[in-house]
Amino acid sequence: MMENVLQFLPLLLSGAIVTVEVSVLALLVSSLLGFVLALLKLSPNRWLAYPASGVVNVIRGLPILIVLFYMYFVLPELGIDLTAFQAGVLGLGIGYSGYQAEIFRGGIQAVDRGQTEAAQAIGMKPAMIMRRVTLPQALRISIPPYANTFTMILKDSSLVSTITVAEMTHAGQLIASATFQNMTVYTLTALLYLAMSLPLLYLVNRLERHLRR
Amino acid sequence: MIKITNVKKRFGNLHVLKGISLEVGCGEVVCLIGPSGSGKSTLLRCINALETYDDGDIHVGERRVDAASRTIHELRSEVGMVFQRFNLFPHRTVLENVIEGAVHVRREPRQQAVAHGLELLEKVGMADKRDSMPGQLSGGQQQRVAIARALAMRPRALLFDEPTSALDPELVGDVLAVMRRLADDGMTMVVVTHEMGFARDVADQVCFLHDGVIAESGPARQVLEAPRHARTQDFLRRVRSA
Repeated sequence: MMENVLQFLPLLLSGAIVTVEVSVLALLVSSLLGFVLALLKLSPNRWLAYPASGVVNVIRGLPILIVLFYMYFVLPELGIDLTAFQAGVLGLGIGYSGYQAEIFRGGIQAVDRGQTEAAQAIGMKPAMIMRRVTLPQALRISIPPYANTFTMILKDSSLVSTITVAEMTHAGQLIASATFQNMTVYTLTALLYLAMSLPLLYLVNRLERHLRR
Repeated sequence: MIKITNVKKRFGNLHVLKGISLEVGCGEVVCLIGPSGSGKSTLLRCINALETYDDGDIHVGERRVDAASRTIHELRSEVGMVFQRFNLFPHRTVLENVIEGAVHVRREPRQQAVAHGLELLEKVGMADKRDSMPGQLSGGQQQRVAIARALAMRPRALLFDEPTSALDPELVGDVLAVMRRLADDGMTMVVVTHEMGFARDVADQVCFLHDGVIAESGPARQVLEAPRHARTQDFLRRVRSA
């Protein structure tokens, strides 16, 4: 048993590195997209706000697995070839951008209206108000749900194993099918996920308590 | 300096301002009093276009106040505003709050803005709190910082929207003292207030608003001590017995 563990661990750990890479990059993609979608959704221009809101709903209404399949199997038919890794990062990032958009929108709307008025009263223009007054406060409000989303991305990165990205779950499946040591392999994999996600969740709790003060 | 001509405003079916005319001369202090819902805060907020009006004209200096104008921010930067709930920027220190507009709107060199900001904090008695965050201050202290923030824009006039209504009673005096000093320095001020003592001592002109119109206006002592209208008399009696 112990020697099995030692034998499997290097493979799983190299998968874990890919898991972290996919998760961090997907977080970046989803943050950028989500941020832009949130700003568009809050725009007073309805030609921007309505489509953005539609896009957010469509993304939130789709299973991430389907988005991943679309990236990996459908895009090549349209002449866009992505590596499995690229398709995984993009699919996961797009799939989560809808949630990120809602997190940022909620944060921006949670900033007291009086803040905007105070900024207007000293002669600031809308873009500067957003940049110097609203966003710094909105991002602070968004930190706990944002960190929470990152743990969800970390877990859902296991989905990219279905499109052959060699991350941790994929590594586990390979070992399991070769050795039939299902219990050892998947328990080990589960523990490794927990080793990444539990510290994150602890951090989320700390942040929430800290920011509530 | 501020000229309001026959201004009307409605929210749906509710006529909040039913044709208000008022002139505020340079260096003059005008207090707007009246029961809640009389339209006094709305009128004040129309002056720097935080609120739109439907009809009539408001001029600050030569310029017509138009909330839809692309250059409305320029006018706002010349007319300071102090809010009931202070609205300091909670993520910036006291000094940063004060110099924010000077540095980023007026584009003053930072050094000059800081020097001016410290001078203003001295003036409102808050210089020792320059590095505090707003959340660490009492309401009265926050309001004095907010006044310094408005002054840092070197405004031609200052608007006060019930500046002491959200304060604990023992903190009101410090804020009113700062406002008295500003009035003595010749600042043009329009003040929505329930502080009748302040209005009587400091205002050149007091306007009693009732139901969207100026029911009575005139020199402070006349309106407050010898009101002619029954509604003014009734309002003042109720304020004083409170």
